[in-house]
Amino acid sequence: MKIAVVGKGGSGKTTASAIIARVLARNGAAVVALDGDTNPNLGLSLGVGVDETERLVGMRQALDAADGEHASDWDSLLDLFGSDGPDGVRFAVVSQIDNPEPGCP
Amino acid sequence: MLGNVDPADAIVVADLEAGIGTLTRLGDGAVDIVVVVVEPVPKSMEVGTRAAAVAAEKGIERLVIVANRVRDAADLDVIRAAFPGHEVIVVPDDGAIVEADRRGVAPLDMTPEAPAVLALSALAERLVPV
Repeated sequence: MKIAVVGKGGSGKTTASAIIARVLARNGAAVVALDGDTNPNLGLSLGVGVDETERLVGMRQALDAADGEHASDWDSLLDLFGSDGPDGVRFAVVSQIDNPEPGCP
Repeated sequence: MLGNVDPADAIVVADLEAGIGTLTRLGDGAVDIVVVVVEPVPKSMEVGTRAAAVAAEKGIERLVIVANRVRDAADLDVIRAAFPGHEVIVVPDDGAIVEADRRGVAPLDMTPEAPAVLALSALAERLVPV
């Protein structure tokens, strides 16, 4: 099941995404929350905290700068660029990848 | 990328880039439900109606409109008028969300009983019933 949350910037999609993700997780689902925004704030709305959100954004930026390791599958991507958030939500910052490597999921 | 996600039995909630760019580029079958968040403000509804049109063109199975920061019946009427025939969920204007954002914490943790939090929690269960 894949749910995409869209809307004008500032409309409330990040707040909505975070609550949807955590409530579904509390109800027993395995939830993966992805932040595709160029200003990645989903971590804060999820309750991951400023430091962890910034760490994940930094990793994402390192990838663009070709400094970072790449992921070959979804579990690796979540391990490298993701974090385990509250209620067991697995969370990753996946903002638009400018230079995808072959095999980049 | 969403087209390739399939962690078995997982639910993926993707907070897409602001606007409709990413939605436009989604491949067939990439998403099951599109949640369009709009405020009762013309610029926001304009993006929302474009998003709804793109989702319809792509044959996305389910589209839900979240009418966010609704203050009164007039706000809701404006949004319903822009999305005739669509499922519309109302999330009231709520200072608790603003306060949680100011503090950099999750509204669900800070004020779980706040009206907007309850409305969004109910939306989650509407999207994927328990």
